[in-house]
Amino acid sequence: MRILSMLWSNLWGRPRTLLFPKRPVVTERFRGLVRFDPALCSGCAICKMRCTAKAIEFKAGKGEFTWSYEPGQCTFCGRCVEGCKDHALSQDSECPPIYTAIGELKTAYTVARKTTVKPAAAPQPAVAAPAAVPAIPASGETE
Amino acid sequence: MNLITALARLLIFPGLVFAVPAAWFFLWVERKAVARMQGRIGPPFMQPFFDFVKLMGKSTPPRNGIGGLLMRAWPLIAVSSAAGAVGLLPVLPASGGFQGDLILLLALLELPSMCIIAAGFSSGSIFGEIGSAREAVLSVSYNIVFLLAIVSIAASQHTFSLAALAQQSASPLRWLGILAILVCLPAKLHLNPFSLPNAEQEIYSGPITEYAGPELAMWELSHGLEWVAATGLVATLAAPVLATWWAAALVFVALCFGLVLLLSVVAAATARLQIDTTVRFYWQCTLIFAVLAVASALFMRFRA
Repeated sequence: MRILSMLWSNLWGRPRTLLFPKRPVVTERFRGLVRFDPALCSGCAICKMRCTAKAIEFKAGKGEFTWSYEPGQCTFCGRCVEGCKDHALSQDSECPPIYTAIGELKTAYTVARKTTVKPAAAPQPAVAAPAAVPAIPASGETE
Repeated sequence: MNLITALARLLIFPGLVFAVPAAWFFLWVERKAVARMQGRIGPPFMQPFFDFVKLMGKSTPPRNGIGGLLMRAWPLIAVSSAAGAVGLLPVLPASGGFQGDLILLLALLELPSMCIIAAGFSSGSIFGEIGSAREAVLSVSYNIVFLLAIVSIAASQHTFSLAALAQQSASPLRWLGILAILVCLPAKLHLNPFSLPNAEQEIYSGPITEYAGPELAMWELSHGLEWVAATGLVATLAAPVLATWWAAALVFVALCFGLVLLLSVVAAATARLQIDTTVRFYWQCTLIFAVLAVASALFMRFRA
C-alpha cells in the first residue's frame, strides 16, 4: 500500500526531470565543459595523461603543440583541471550545450611553445673543494 | 451488414484508421502515466508517432536467405493479425452478417506472441533466444488462464459470437471471467511484473534485439495494436449495452483508456518477477480461479 501512496503523491507532485530542451539550474560547483587558455599553457601535457576518458589529445610539434578537446568523450571528472599546474584549464559552471553531430563541440588549439630564456651562466664562486670526509650517518639513522 | 458497413468497421472504426492512432495514444498514455508515477516528466504527446516515423526512415540490416526473409515477415504478420483483432471487436451495434467470434479473435491475438517467439529464435542472437524462451514459457502459463476465462464467459452466455456477447448484459460469472482476463493482460502486453521477455536491463529487448529501422517500427506498432485489441476485448465484454453508435464508441474508448491507466499503475507499482515465480503464479494461483469459473459456468449451463 505504501507504494501506491508514493505513486499517488508522485503523480500529482512536481516531476524531477525536465522536458528536452530545458536545462537544469546548476550551482557554481557544477563541472561543465573544460575551457582552455592557450596563453597560460606551457604544453606539459599532464592534462592528457590525467584524462582517463581520452577526451584530451596532445600533439607535440616543432616549436608548437596542438591541444584538442572532445566533449563527447569527456566525463567532466575535472582531473585535467586539478592537474594543470599552469591554471590554463577551467570548467564551466553550466550544463554542456546540446549538439546534434559527432565532434560538433570539439575544439583544437595550436600553440607556439614559449621560448624559455636560460639564465646567464653565473660566475662560479671560487670555493675550495671539500676534503673527502667519511660519511657519518646521522644519529637518528643509526641502529 | 452491408459491404460499406463492413469496410468501415475494418478500415475506419474500430479498424485501421482508429486503431493505429489509438495504438500510439495508448503507448503514450502508458509511458506517460508510468513516468509521472515514478516522478519523471515522461515523453511528449507525439513521441510514439515520432519514434515510428524516425524508425521508418532508417535502413534495415541486410538479411539473406530464408532466415532473413522470415525475420522480415514476422513483424508484418504480427501487425496484420493485431490489426485484424482490433477490426473484429464489435464496438458498434451489430447489423447482421459475420461479426467475428471469440475463437478467431483469440487466434489473432495470439499470433503476435507466436511471431515474437519465432523472431527471437530466427535472429540467432543469444538475447533473442533467451527472450523467446521466456515468451514461450510465459505464453504457456498465462494462455491457459486466458483461454479458460474466455471459455467460462462463452459457456455462461451460451455463445462464442462477439456480437452476441456484446449485446448481452454481464452476469456475475462473466465478471469473474473478465477479472481472470485482466490478470492475464500484463503478461500478454509484457508489462511489469511479467515483463520477462523484453527485460531491458538483462537481455536488451529480448526477441527484437536484432531488429532495427522499419522492422522495429512494425514491432512497436504491433505492440500498440495489441494494447488496443486486448483492452478493447475487455472493454467490449464489460461495456453496457447501448443502442446509439456514438455512445457505444465513447464508452468503448473510455473503458480502454481506464484499462490502460490501471495496467500502468500495476506496471509502475511492481518489479519484474522471476520466470519460476511467474509460472507458479499463473499455474498455482490463477489457474484454480479460472478452473472454478469454467466449472461454475458449465454447472449453471447444465442446470439450466
